Amino acid sequence: MTTMVQQVRPAGARYEGLALVVATVAVVGILALYVHERGRDNTPEPLLDWQISAFDGLTGADQAIYNSLYTVKDEIPFIYDDINRFNAPGVKFHWPNLQDFQDWLLPPFYRDTSWQQNGSLKWSLFEPLPEGEMQGSTMYLGTDGQLPGQGSFLLVIGHVHAGFTNNNAIVIWWNAENHVDMPQSGFRDRLILQGWREVVAYSGDQEVKRIFGENGEDQRSEQEIEELLKNALPTEP
Amino acid sequence: MWSRRQTVLKTLALASAALLALGSQAADAAKLKVGITLHPYYSFVANIVGDRAEVIPLIDADANPHGYAPQPADMIRITSMDVLVVNGIGHDSWAFEILDAAGMRNKLTLIYANDGVSLIPVAGDPSGEKIVNPHTFISTTAAIQQVYTIARKLGELDKDNATFFRDNARRYALEIRKLRAEFDAKIVGADLSKFRCATMHSGYDYILQELGLQVTAVIEPRHGVEPTARQLAETIDRINAAKVNVLFAEKYFASKLSDTIREATGVKMYSISHISSGEYTAEKFIDEMRENLTTLAAGINDAAKSGS
Repeated sequence: MTTMVQQVRPAGARYEGLALVVATVAVVGILALYVHERGRDNTPEPLLDWQISAFDGLTGADQAIYNSLYTVKDEIPFIYDDINRFNAPGVKFHWPNLQDFQDWLLPPFYRDTSWQQNGSLKWSLFEPLPEGEMQGSTMYLGTDGQLPGQGSFLLVIGHVHAGFTNNNAIVIWWNAENHVDMPQSGFRDRLILQGWREVVAYSGDQEVKRIFGENGEDQRSEQEIEELLKNALPTEP
Repeated sequence: MWSRRQTVLKTLALASAALLALGSQAADAAKLKVGITLHPYYSFVANIVGDRAEVIPLIDADANPHGYAPQPADMIRITSMDVLVVNGIGHDSWAFEILDAAGMRNKLTLIYANDGVSLIPVAGDPSGEKIVNPHTFISTTAAIQQVYTIARKLGELDKDNATFFRDNARRYALEIRKLRAEFDAKIVGADLSKFRCATMHSGYDYILQELGLQVTAVIEPRHGVEPTARQLAETIDRINAAKVNVLFAEKYFASKLSDTIREATGVKMYSISHISSGEYTAEKFIDEMRENLTTLAAGINDAAKSGS
């Protein structure tokens, strides 16, 4: 007895395979587009050639000095207000000088043991000129550190209204040279040409974004959280 | 007549008292209720807000923040807060579990105290990896930065008191700075070149860096994760080779490992507080940091007197 097998091709066989391929490509394409447009990337912005990371670019004393300056930049405007609050009419407003910093016990300027331990940088202040290119400029230069391989620091208080700099921010710069002279300009491009690099902090808000993302959802794995908890506090006996 | 006058006066006095009480209740109701997760943040916020806000610890004072398991009372507490101050980078992960459990994750305003802190890596990690060190509050400068951040954010929420908060933050920052001056006075004339320290874990990296003190070895860079026998042997060799004479360990949690190190190397051990247990008080941070700096000064002075 013979069995007859008859193959019946679906009427749309020719197009079904093609339709499946097209549908797959479309789904993958739409998803790729969505991820490209809406996907989250919580890695910090890459640094530019003329920037350096305080977190993993600076070490030892230079990292400590930067971190002190990073807090100082929030305090300088307060001190500015304090020292100028009771100025007599006509008296020119001025930025805090190095003696003011001694009075406020303000590191890294305050000459205590940590100042010595961190290389005894010599600080000087460039005060604003009444007119000309340097009008409105205020710069604090720390140089001639005593530790091997130590760089120099420059804290620049920018004043756009005076045409001095690119923005109104207080910016901290680092130069690999142990000795540098006070720059003749606070403009970013000129500082870069003189070997200065803007120091960029890895701050808590960036770490929070890395952990939680923009929407506040925890991005870490269970294992990472577990390890973090172990690291966070001492182990009980 | 006299009796009638007395009655009128009594009524007026009662009415005044009632009005005062109502006014006080209204003021209390208007006060910001600021939650905190860790002991240092209680001190920071209490010193910033004074009597113009209420400070509410999220967990009980006797709870161990390490591996804390959220309790029902925490969920009730968190719903009463207007804002919660968190470390957010590794010390209070449980706060987010409480937020989720109470359905408050996207409802409660959070202040991330470390927002403006320039973070440093954990010192001495044998892998050489740069891992963020979350112990920002065992410090002076990084603590001050957090005080300013908290004061600024609270001022944004309570604009009427923004100046008051900022002025208090500045006053408190100066108090913290004075701790450094006190420390300095305690080590006058000490030969710091003889000071070579190791630490049990990375909890003291911020304060040691701020003081310009270098750490030669960290026994448990990721503390809680004990080193292997080989790593421990290498660390002991490193301590001996570098002639380390001071070991800083955690005050409230004893470790058999520190005893082993001490016996094998002969280093003198000193205890530093993590500021993470005991009652919540406004003074706690300053008191315990003063104690920590006194201990550091003792370590430096003892090392300076040593022969090596």
